[in-house]
Amino acid sequence: MEFLKENWIFAEVDLNKVNPITYQLITKMNQISELPVTVVLVEGSSESLEEDIKEYGPDKIITIKNDQLVQGNDLEMTNALDTLIEKTGRPNSFVFAATVVGRSLAPRLQARLRTGLTADCLDLHFEDDGTLVQTKPSYGDNIMCEIVVPNHRPQMATVRSNVFEAKKLNNPMTKVINITNLKVVQDKQLTISSKPLPQESAESITEANRIVAIGRGDKTEENLTNAKRLADKLHAVIGVTRPLTDLEEFDINDQIGQSGQSVSPDILINLGISGAVQYTAGISNAKTIVSANTDKDAPIFKHSDYYYVGNAEEFSKALEKALQ
Amino acid sequence: MKIVVGIKQVPETTNVKINEKTKNIDRRGISGVINQYDRHALEAAFEIKAKTNAEVIVMTMGPDDFVVSLQEALALGADSAVLLSDRAFAGADTLATGYVLSEAIKKIGDVDLVLLGQQSVDADTGQMGPIISEFLDISQVTYASKLDVEEGGLRIKRYLENIEQDITAKLPVLVTVTDQANDPKYVNIVEIAKSFEKEVTTWHASDLNLDADRVGQAGSPSVVRSISSPKEVVKDNYKLPDNPQDAADELVKILKDKNILVEDK
Ligand SMILES: Cc1cc2nc3c(=O)[nH]c(=O)nc-3n(C[C@H](O)[C@H](O)[C@H](O)COP(=O)(O)OP(=O)(O)OC[C@H]3O[C@@H](n4cnc5c(N)ncnc54)[C@H](O)[C@@H]3O)c2cc1C
Ligand SMILES: Nc1ncnc2c1ncn2[C@@H]1O[C@H](COP(=O)(O)O)[C@@H](O)[C@H]1O
Repeated sequence: MEFLKENWIFAEVDLNKVNPITYQLITKMNQISELPVTVVLVEGSSESLEEDIKEYGPDKIITIKNDQLVQGNDLEMTNALDTLIEKTGRPNSFVFAATVVGRSLAPRLQARLRTGLTADCLDLHFEDDGTLVQTKPSYGDNIMCEIVVPNHRPQMATVRSNVFEAKKLNNPMTKVINITNLKVVQDKQLTISSKPLPQESAESITEANRIVAIGRGDKTEENLTNAKRLADKLHAVIGVTRPLTDLEEFDINDQIGQSGQSVSPDILINLGISGAVQYTAGISNAKTIVSANTDKDAPIFKHSDYYYVGNAEEFSKALEKALQ
Repeated sequence: MKIVVGIKQVPETTNVKINEKTKNIDRRGISGVINQYDRHALEAAFEIKAKTNAEVIVMTMGPDDFVVSLQEALALGADSAVLLSDRAFAGADTLATGYVLSEAIKKIGDVDLVLLGQQSVDADTGQMGPIISEFLDISQVTYASKLDVEEGGLRIKRYLENIEQDITAKLPVLVTVTDQANDPKYVNIVEIAKSFEKEVTTWHASDLNLDADRVGQAGSPSVVRSISSPKEVVKDNYKLPDNPQDAADELVKILKDKNILVEDK
């Protein structure tokens, strides 16, 4: 099987900024890959995000500057990446972020190239012959599978945010290759207009170091006020379980769990949360977990380092006091 | 308008374990239900049907017992149902499954809209939508949080991690639907029983125009090498005192001692 002896990463760009998952992927790939690590970056014609990416030390950056492609149409982007791969040859592997963009684009390219793709990986490693071993959860994180793609290239994967740590790396050898003449056929079926979501909190829960999470057992207005005061005291961000997204002030970006966000704070405090698997699927990377619940058998306690059986609001107030 | 909704039957609970003897997933005693996200895809189809008189065809690829879910979809309001069942389909990965589903959609013909769930709760891949769109050579909109019919197409809201998108899509198009899109209705046993008057069509491999190398295990680039239970992160499960202030004081002391709560962070 003929293929290009490189491992590729698709740089995810949102709002003219490189998504941190891209840096996490570069650091991980640099650690595990024997072959050169190449980042494929698609950006607007006046941008130069390759400068930011360089700081993480990949071997090569292929930059496609194109104002049509940054609109985010999956079909157009698939065509562009397919054309690029026709020119360069198929890389050994091609990994994407398991974000909405990555999870939409990667499988379309997979089908175009008729190869294998593993979604939502939690770990990756290479074997000596270049085989990419992909660890993926299924059944809502209750089962782990190891998946390989023995006879097709590229071996494709999407990888969850925050499972690897990004580290800057000085690599004076990083080569930047600009592709300017890529032809893009516009998809006339879709008209996409994008706008940034209002950033309510300065920090999003996916990047927060400290989170106070509130559930149905702590959702009265008074509870919320107290939880917010505790969060302020701790310099923490508020997260919620799904039922609380019914409230005006919370949405899917504040929701932790399988259909919300995966979080990886140093400390997570759960107030009035039962611990359904769909919720705990999102907290497996939290380092220290504290939970308060009136039910002494609440499933969340099994996931906790420290737990308090009793009223969440009383606990939250006491904690605020203890932090004085 | 002709709408195809792809549904999958999944175990009622994802709380499954590995059988130590067979090293396989133990599904004993767990019955099958319609994948939750697919209920939202179905509901989206029914809402469009209510406005435009669309025809709704529900489709699944899987073993014969998936027929139960098709019956339920018929009871909910689908006009017809197709089961894709054949030994040759066994062992299919996402690519091979998407291939068969796309060929079946081609066989139905003149389909304007394909609706799928955002992901299945057992496989958890979300790959099927983009794969089928590619094989049908049509545009795709994944993770739709809101769908409305408009003159000539659909208007869709979609959320990325930091971006909100407003999309207008001309038909034909494939859309995958999130659980934010609507509130699915449920039916009772009586209505399901009545739906048995509507027939489920079964198509085998020979009914479709398939390249044998692209179906089942032979057509699957991905190989599952092993399955295991996730490594349990061992948690201390330390119970704090019953008095809230004692509990809080002790917790803060522990966290400070362990350098987890450093001042001024
Ligand atoms: C397909 C699918 C995807 C889903 N995705 C997600 C997801 O991403 N995130 C998510 O969170 N959920 C998700 N869910 C929902 C999930 O199954 C649970 O319903 C949800 O997590 C429960 O939220 P909760 O713990 O806040 O509420 P509950 O389960 O109602 O728990 C409330 C808890 O509060 C306790 N309590 C009550 N009063 C007090 C008090 N005064 N003080 C202290 N404790 C008190 C109770 O003992 C109870 O344990 C999903 C469900 C499905 C079907
Ligand atoms: N075997 C199947 N038959 C029909 N539709 C399916 C099948 N598997 C998955 N789907 C559809 O594709 C969506 C995404 O599934 P998945 O890619 O498996 O996560 C599901 O929500 C279903 O709508």
